[in-house]
Amino acid sequence: MDFHTAAKYASLLSKDYAEDIFKLLVNYQAISASEVATRLNLHIKTAQDFLESLENLDIVSREEVLEKKRPYYRYILKQNRLVIDIDLMQVRQEQSPNSLSARLREKENAGARFSVARSDDYITSVAIWTGDGRERQERKIKLTTPQGRFLYHLPFPKAEPLTVDEIIQKAGIDKSLAPEILDLVQLLEKYNVIEALPEVQK
Amino acid sequence: MALVRKLKPDRNIAGVIIPFSIVPIFGLATLFFGLPIGLITLGIWMFVYSLFYLYVFIRTRNIAQLVVCVEGIFFGFMFLVFEPNFGTNSVESQEFRAAYISGVIFFGLILISLVLTRRFKWRGREIFELAGESVDEAGNGYTSRPRPVGKVEYSLQQMHSFSHFCARHLIALTYVTSKNITLVPIKMGEEFGRILGLSGDYRDATWVNFDVNGEVSVHISQKDYLDYREPLAFDQLCTSLGQVFIDFIELYNKGEGVRVIDRMDDLKLSFLS
Repeated sequence: MDFHTAAKYASLLSKDYAEDIFKLLVNYQAISASEVATRLNLHIKTAQDFLESLENLDIVSREEVLEKKRPYYRYILKQNRLVIDIDLMQVRQEQSPNSLSARLREKENAGARFSVARSDDYITSVAIWTGDGRERQERKIKLTTPQGRFLYHLPFPKAEPLTVDEIIQKAGIDKSLAPEILDLVQLLEKYNVIEALPEVQK
Repeated sequence: MALVRKLKPDRNIAGVIIPFSIVPIFGLATLFFGLPIGLITLGIWMFVYSLFYLYVFIRTRNIAQLVVCVEGIFFGFMFLVFEPNFGTNSVESQEFRAAYISGVIFFGLILISLVLTRRFKWRGREIFELAGESVDEAGNGYTSRPRPVGKVEYSLQQMHSFSHFCARHLIALTYVTSKNITLVPIKMGEEFGRILGLSGDYRDATWVNFDVNGEVSVHISQKDYLDYREPLAFDQLCTSLGQVFIDFIELYNKGEGVRVIDRMDDLKLSFLS
């Protein structure tokens, strides 16, 4: 299951009335939105939205019923168990040889403000400007110690760029921490604080 | 051969304004409250001034600061003695005149000698000139990040000793913590703000840091960087500034500290800049 779907599940389950609606769905063979609403003293729209969301997630199925002149839907529970299963490794930063061989340096006139740790050997945070015009605001990013050490050893603007791998070695960072370094690199590249230069052909 | 300066001419008058502020203060106090109060104000101001130089002496162990402090105490005392006896025979006596004139001559000569021999001079401009000397490439690239520039193989004791040397000769103001010895070069006229803590955190200034493992890192403030005539290649400038101090510590530890002073004197910068 991806994060997005899991978030939808979690959002539905977090509603105050979620347990009561599920109780009705389990105990009734089929139930309509208006029956749920009157039974639980909810607004019809609230019950309708909840049941439609369950249907979108394939937890319930619906069947159209024609009674008098107006058709309406009755909902039937399809699953007896709800399992939210997320593989966290799917969001792990890919540590491909390419990402480690990207040649980096700080971008000229990046406008970022760096705060140095008291011990003077790593950066504790970087403040960057985001947005345009009057929407422009400062965003401060706190760094982990390995990230701070990486940034401390990042070549200056106009200096000879170094690969991520070389900077990691220079800063004495354990290679197993590369994913958090790559995450920072991605973020700072996005905000134009650092620049990746094309690889030199040998 | 004419020396090529990398820094812009010194137009900072803060170093002159602060000591000479004594003149309008005396004038205003005299105008509003009369000459006796003016003299008392002058005397008190001299004591305050002395206190500042006493603090600088304690901070740096630079003897010239102590001399200026004693001078301030002497003249402060003279003004306070002068005030209650103003207009009486005692201040017009030969003894008072002799004491005053001998004080003016003695301290005047010492002060002139200290200024001419640059013992009273904060060496920030010399440091920046030396750092800029080897950088010919222009290219800007300023960043507020510090730059690691190398490592020195000296014991903590040797580094402490070097930092005392730097402070004693007004090469840099030192900030010592359990892990670092940070040297902050100060230009003439900036000492008041920096020492009194009015210029903000020293980490925002230009500094060269030696950590306990001998790692040397450099930070150059934007204000100091903009003081160069050309937008020098920032990366090289940081390396060069670090190298200046690495050279200095090597000379100092070889017992050739005087060569450090010679290198700075050879630049022949103005006594007051």
